[in-house]
Amino acid sequence: MKAANMLYIVGLGLADEKDVTVKGLEIIRKASRIYLEAYTAILPVDKERLEAYYDRPITIADREMVESSSDTILENADKEDVAFLVVGDPFSATTHTDLLLRARKLSIPTQSIPNASILTAVGATGLSLYTFGQTVSIVFFTDDWRPSSFYDKIAENASLGLHTLLLLDIKVKEPNLQQLARGKIVYEPPRYMTVAQCCIQLLEVEEERKQGICAAEKLAVGIARAGGGEAQKIVAGTLEELAKADLGKPLHSVALCGHRMHEMEWEFVREYAVDQGKFDEIWKREYARKG
Amino acid sequence: MVNFTVEEIRGLMDNPANIRNMSVIAHVDHGKSTLTDSLVQRAGIISAAKAGEARFTDTRPDEQERGVTIKSTAISLYATLKDAEDLKDIPVKTDKNDFLVNLIDSPGHVDFSSEVTAALRVTDGALVVVDTVEGVCVQTETVLRQALGERIKPVVIINKVDRALLELQVTKEDLYQNFSRVIESVNVVIATYFDKALGDVQVYPDKGTICFGSGLHGWAFTIRQFAARYSKKFGVDKNKLMERLWGDNYFNPATKKWTKSSQHEGKELERSFNSFILDPIFRIFGAVMNFKKDEIPKLLEKLEIKLSGDEKDLEGKQLLKVVMRKFLPAADALLEMMILHLPSPITAQKYRMETLYEGPPDDEAAIAIRDCDAKGTLMLYVSKMVPTSDKGRFYAFGRVFSGTVRSGLKVRIQGPNYTPGKKEDLFVKAIQRTILMMGRNIEPIEDVPAGNILGLVGIDQFLLKSGTLTTSETAHNLKVMKFSVSPVVQRSVEVKNANDLPKLVEGLKRLSKSDPCVLTYIAETGEHVVAGAGELHLEICLKDLEEDHAGVPLRISDPVVGYRETVQEESSMTALSKSPNKHNRLYLKAQPLDEDVAKDIEAGRIGPRDDFKARARILADEHGWDVTDARKIWCFGPDTTGANLLVDQTKAVQYLNEIKDSVVSGFQWATKEGPVAEEPMRSIRFNILDVTLHADAIHRGGGQIIPTARRALYAATLLASPGIQEPVYLCEIQVPEQAMGGIYGVLTRRRGHVFEENQRPGTPLFNVKSYLPVNESFGFTADLRSHTAGQAFPQMVFDHWQVLPGGSPLDKTTKPGQVVEETRKRKGIKPDVPGYENYYDKL
Repeated sequence: MKAANMLYIVGLGLADEKDVTVKGLEIIRKASRIYLEAYTAILPVDKERLEAYYDRPITIADREMVESSSDTILENADKEDVAFLVVGDPFSATTHTDLLLRARKLSIPTQSIPNASILTAVGATGLSLYTFGQTVSIVFFTDDWRPSSFYDKIAENASLGLHTLLLLDIKVKEPNLQQLARGKIVYEPPRYMTVAQCCIQLLEVEEERKQGICAAEKLAVGIARAGGGEAQKIVAGTLEELAKADLGKPLHSVALCGHRMHEMEWEFVREYAVDQGKFDEIWKREYARKG
Repeated sequence: MVNFTVEEIRGLMDNPANIRNMSVIAHVDHGKSTLTDSLVQRAGIISAAKAGEARFTDTRPDEQERGVTIKSTAISLYATLKDAEDLKDIPVKTDKNDFLVNLIDSPGHVDFSSEVTAALRVTDGALVVVDTVEGVCVQTETVLRQALGERIKPVVIINKVDRALLELQVTKEDLYQNFSRVIESVNVVIATYFDKALGDVQVYPDKGTICFGSGLHGWAFTIRQFAARYSKKFGVDKNKLMERLWGDNYFNPATKKWTKSSQHEGKELERSFNSFILDPIFRIFGAVMNFKKDEIPKLLEKLEIKLSGDEKDLEGKQLLKVVMRKFLPAADALLEMMILHLPSPITAQKYRMETLYEGPPDDEAAIAIRDCDAKGTLMLYVSKMVPTSDKGRFYAFGRVFSGTVRSGLKVRIQGPNYTPGKKEDLFVKAIQRTILMMGRNIEPIEDVPAGNILGLVGIDQFLLKSGTLTTSETAHNLKVMKFSVSPVVQRSVEVKNANDLPKLVEGLKRLSKSDPCVLTYIAETGEHVVAGAGELHLEICLKDLEEDHAGVPLRISDPVVGYRETVQEESSMTALSKSPNKHNRLYLKAQPLDEDVAKDIEAGRIGPRDDFKARARILADEHGWDVTDARKIWCFGPDTTGANLLVDQTKAVQYLNEIKDSVVSGFQWATKEGPVAEEPMRSIRFNILDVTLHADAIHRGGGQIIPTARRALYAATLLASPGIQEPVYLCEIQVPEQAMGGIYGVLTRRRGHVFEENQRPGTPLFNVKSYLPVNESFGFTADLRSHTAGQAFPQMVFDHWQVLPGGSPLDKTTKPGQVVEETRKRKGIKPDVPGYENYYDKL
């Protein structure tokens, strides 16, 4: 008996076309239509390389398509297989719950194929995944939009001594808001937030809030191109130091250390420190045995 | 020949106590420009022979042709008081008897009221001209109201007295009664708009704030002048005499005593005003117009009037003019009245500062303005742009409120949208040149200190129409002007020859700059639209566009009216819209905003820049709002100032302030183009009832929230029984009794209705006031004239918005429905109004 047709949401992993799981690859190769979600995260390789490796043509699904015309994606998914490719892990972000809800409404069966995500890959920094609190995103500040509610969440994590993973804004194909408010859609050039920029914004918010949560001497670890093997880069230091660090090409993430940071974690992280002496001194003074 | 030099004027500029900045304002055809001529004649710019006919301030050929002022024009005059003793009567002490009078002649036709607004802003006093026969008319009232709103002190001249004497042949007492009536109706208007800071500014003949005269004949007088004349003759105190020369005061020749009663031992006494003031005038008129050749020389001798050789040969009106002008020169009376009773910038800026300045009343700029400090921070307001002979370039016309502006000075040019601390609508540039503007001519001047009116070269590229110039980095804007007219009539234009398009685009830019009120924009369909206050205004604008600004042949559409979309009930259910990612949801309802609130917003009495607590107080006390709601007004719209409000009624929603800006952007967008016909919304209050948001900021950015807010607002509007509002004119028609019948027929056919009908006492003229939809006003003037044998003259000024009756605009078979369909077709959008389902998401 032929297996039921359905919508597959396939995690692609973090680094390149070869991070896909074997199961995932099999699904991709037999699916009649393949969409690549390309706005919540990106692979550092282009679509052509994926198509060559998977040996299948791929349609890029931008935000507008997924959010506003998901019907095209779901069309006939009960009669043929449709693969929806997501960078990282399908459910690491809440973003795609809506697509599944719609599929459910149309009685289309779904299945998802997990993969590595920044939520787990951040373990490479040496910070223990057990000790992470709520994850937050940091968006690009504009002149009049400077949401800082993340500060409260970091504070909640910090009050328990937990680390915080900061996901950094990417704008692959976002409309220009001034134009949008005039009823026109004009896309902005792609932008990716860097570790340095994130730290600058954290320090700015600290200026406003003054609770010491993102103070200049807080320890943090920046990670770029996580899971990318050779290309992966990790830098540790104070927020002030990281605000000047250059970690190269996207994507970047930041982990802010909680005071429960264990000796083993410290031993591992200090190897990446910009200024090891300073790092050790602050850790001993502010973090060691405070958990 | 000019009898003063730029250097002389520049010298006067340093002494603000001796400066008078004033506008001449009036109803159309009450004789402003002609009066202004007699003043210009005194300053010697045109020869005496032409005064009364030259209309010096009407600089444009079409103004001269039509005899209507279209643009306001400024001139600086140099004046002295005849009697240096009079200096003592000026409220603010000054010992120099030389004065600089900066005078702006402004248009009287209602369509050009915005020019008046721009003129009033830069002046401190106003000469209100009222026709003796026609009295206070609709535009007299409008401009007077505007003047008082800007804290401008008025003085009045009752003009065209010669008409009353020659055409109506009134008696002395009739004329006195007529004067009293006119003065009373002026004072009624002034009292209605009483402003504590300005104090009582009602006008009284016995105080010298009213002048009587004839601009056409070049004569005028104040009671003060006659009092001075008689006080010398009889050795009586001048001020006492002034009081006695008006009102119920009688001089009994038998007892040589003043009395308050009009009878003495059964004999009628003559009112002192009539016997001492009107009598000599009546006698001159009588003698000259009845050609009593033998009486004239005696009379002239008595009144100490000397005629030159050839003047003695004149007869009739020509002679009358010469005699009256020698007897009571208009310029003397007017200049004296203005110098004595209008405030100097030093006096005026003390009480005007708070209505002029947007910032706190105690900052550096505010204090400099208050003190009219020439050494303080520069604060200069540009109120309009004046075309130069160099095509496409403009002089910026304005007033220095503090500091001193000179060529080469680096200034901050702050447009109307500038907010302190931000860089939007801000340029920092050097001023190329400062100039004096004198009617048709300009004169370069090195620098201009506080309290003076001037022109600037090289600012026009950085300001659209008006704005603030300052040297202080922290200065707020001088308040943006509020116009009493709105651009409610539109016509679209296209080029006849496709190659001319770039010229049209450039021409539209220039047109927009040259007129304070006109709006030009490109519609969705690609049409270029020009919107103006009325048919005449648009006609003049389009003529300028075709012949001057663009200089290419144009095809011009029929005029159409701009409508407003509103709601008539509360939304029948809560409108819900979800963001594209479905994680954010807005719940809101629309309800009608009180018409009073909408009007207050449009008049600038309630605005986005008010202190929110003070604003909440007004809304609660005067309009019955809940104070909590009134304090949570997020914004006004469209264009952040319009008469629609967004109110936050949510309870304890986390992160709400992080999406506020996005919701506000969506609100501005939605209120600018409503769901029914893509016309602006008006008089709607939107209440945000609840909001659910994604926990993470990245999933609730502008891209998610702006379109959602717009959709929710549209759905709420469509669920609240939408209506279409059309603009309505207040139409005042002056007509003789026998032609009244014709008016009613024409008005009824055009959906107009009469609400007031008055006979002007002592004249056969009737004054009929009615409301007339703007949409029905096209061709109204011609229609009216043809039905009244050319005897009725309408004046129309935008008055209010009114819901277009006849049913729902969503139903195509109704009148509003047809209007909506036509509008949508014209805009090139699909003729059917989308249902609320298009914007509403189910839970």
